[in-house]
Amino acid sequence: MSTPNNNLLDRLVGLSMLVLATTVFLYYTIWTLLLPFVDPTHPLQSAFPPRVWAIRIPVILILLGGAVVGSFLGMVMIRSNRKKALKAQQKKAS
Amino acid sequence: MTRAQQTLSIGLLVASVYMVAFLGLAPLPAKIQDDIIPVLPIWAIVSFGAYLLFKLGYGVATFNDVPEAHQELMREIQEARADLQKKGVEVD
Repeated sequence: MSTPNNNLLDRLVGLSMLVLATTVFLYYTIWTLLLPFVDPTHPLQSAFPPRVWAIRIPVILILLGGAVVGSFLGMVMIRSNRKKALKAQQKKAS
Repeated sequence: MTRAQQTLSIGLLVASVYMVAFLGLAPLPAKIQDDIIPVLPIWAIVSFGAYLLFKLGYGVATFNDVPEAHQELMREIQEARADLQKKGVEVD
């Protein structure tokens, strides 16, 4: 019943998650903790946006994530309530 | 000492150490104080997220299919369904 050889896709997805997590961690750590000690004229600084964004981007992502999760929860609850109300109506009518 | 107590006390410890640094109650070099200390909590959150993603990816990459367990699970689900329907519980 399970699709054969899903293993390759699984490994690829897992590997990409690993790479993404490591990249994010390294980039963000260098951005926030290392750059203050680096000369403002060093060429490395050009690989990173101004540091204000190091705060804004995670905050925006967290708020977006919260909004997505909240709306998903809300939709599921509304749908389940509607189904319950429909069933109660059908029971009364029968 | 329960797990909750342990976690709570470690959390309080870290929070108080950070408060001391944040409020400037301990003398620190100006560069560290102005640029690094305020950013530490968000850095911790982002690093924690990256760590969770890492753990997830590792689990997904190393999980092997177990066809026997899958079939056994399907069988158990069908048995439970039949059993519950017999007893009058709505399934699905």
